Amino acid sequence: MMNLKISALEFVEEVKNGNISVEDFIGKTLERINNIDDKLHAFLSINEDAIDQAKNIDKKIKSGENVGACFGMPISIKDNMCIKGSKTTCASKMLENFVAPYDATVISKLKKQDAIFIGKVNMDEFAMGLSTEFSAFGPSKNPWNTDYVPGGSSGGSAVSVSSFECVASLGSDTGGSVRNPASFCSTVGYKPTYGLISRYGLISYANSIEQIGPLTRTVKDAAFMLNLIAGVDPNDNTTVNNNNEDYLSGIDSGIEGKKIGIITDMIGDGIDPEVLTATKEAISKLEGLGATCEEVSLDMVKYSVAAYYTITATEAGSNLARYDNLRYGYDFPVEGYEFNSYISKARKNLGPEVTRRMIIGGFVPSAGHAGKYFLKAMKVKSKLTKEINEAFKKFDLLISPTVPVQPFKIGEKIDDPVSLFLIDINTVTANLTGKPAVSIPFKIVNGLPIGIQLMANSMDDKLLLQAAHALEQTVSLPEVSI
Amino acid sequence: MVTTEEIEHVSKLMKIDVDNHAEYLEKVQTMINYFDILDSAGVESEEISMPEIPIEELRNDEYIPFGEKLIEKMNHYKGTYIHAPKMS
Repeated sequence: MMNLKISALEFVEEVKNGNISVEDFIGKTLERINNIDDKLHAFLSINEDAIDQAKNIDKKIKSGENVGACFGMPISIKDNMCIKGSKTTCASKMLENFVAPYDATVISKLKKQDAIFIGKVNMDEFAMGLSTEFSAFGPSKNPWNTDYVPGGSSGGSAVSVSSFECVASLGSDTGGSVRNPASFCSTVGYKPTYGLISRYGLISYANSIEQIGPLTRTVKDAAFMLNLIAGVDPNDNTTVNNNNEDYLSGIDSGIEGKKIGIITDMIGDGIDPEVLTATKEAISKLEGLGATCEEVSLDMVKYSVAAYYTITATEAGSNLARYDNLRYGYDFPVEGYEFNSYISKARKNLGPEVTRRMIIGGFVPSAGHAGKYFLKAMKVKSKLTKEINEAFKKFDLLISPTVPVQPFKIGEKIDDPVSLFLIDINTVTANLTGKPAVSIPFKIVNGLPIGIQLMANSMDDKLLLQAAHALEQTVSLPEVSI
Repeated sequence: MVTTEEIEHVSKLMKIDVDNHAEYLEKVQTMINYFDILDSAGVESEEISMPEIPIEELRNDEYIPFGEKLIEKMNHYKGTYIHAPKMS
């Protein structure tokens, strides 16, 4: 009986030791997807060549050739990252038939390491959302309870990892889009320091703050993935040199003597009592491991969601202006249309949330309104960055719940945009300030997961992963029963 | 408070036309009105900090051949041009 529930590192060991063949594992993974994904809708497309790719890697192993560090590990990829020759839809009707002509840098790096991309996974259209309900191809379902949202926008990534349809996944995080679904589905979700991972080949939403990040079963797996995909890329001028840091080595170092700040602004009004209790338990566990925890306030957090949506909508308005259906888009002939009316009509294929954010993205930086909205949002971003930098002079790490609430029912909040906005309140700070942050599965209450967020200073990703690993070791959680 | 007329004007400039106008504009109005919270942030005197990248750290500004004729992948490619609608 093939165990699909193993971690990425266990998978590599099992293949290396000859205990399992890549072909068998990939075959069983595809079988599982085939059996359960109708209920979950994590996948938008499946790699039809996966078995052949697995056979090739098995052949390389048998013949003693060099094999990449992934050893044929099945990884799912959020459908906003380009894989050459594969559909990259961004879960949008606008890009339903777009076939990427090149590989994203993260994809070419993982290909060199013999990863197998098992399929492309669902997301909110153009990554705009936090529940995966805004996918043009229908929502993904939370494997812990399929009446509930899996979080988003990388909902397909989190569902595929937590329900054992792959070993790991790549998502993208603009305001919590890796950490939020990780928290809702009980997986690890890692948002690295801004610039640590190249965004080349990631379809742009809000370039100044978004990052690609891994979703995995364990913190060690996230460190392993980070080792493979981090580093400078000449195709992305915002990437930073990490001096080939090994994030896995020393991950067992523990957190004795570390100072952790409890962000009071993230455990106040609107938090579920169960989430607050879980956060207090996490703090106690960290103290039990030798850390010192003390409260800290970041005054700008209460304005962070408004600043985040103002800035991201502005960047989205610019980025999505390219979807005029002339260069790429769907089949819609130009004959009989005047230029502007053609583009307006073509853009009706964008979903409601994307359309709303494009309108906002035109409004908030426009003449007469920029001073009230966009410039103020940028000033909040600057002040929040100062506040958090000040906090990191005193603390090594900051802690909060990843999301102030537990997963909610599909459709429950879809008509209330402001209530949806506020679910992001604990995650957007890391994006606005460029800091690394991780969601660690911590507790299951009433059958639904709760994740805890740790944040560190820029480029302290290694320390952050060590702390996350230490916290992870204090809990033993059930698996999804699906 | 922004008005739906102001939003409608911007959406036309953005080349966005929607069927169920009232519903869209109402939601957008709710979202933008939430942003009024920024007025109480007290950040008027704050400087906006922008990341700076020294020019020598940028890659060379030179043509890198792609290998495939990308223009052939365009939506309305007609052999030597891309067919676009008439300008008014």
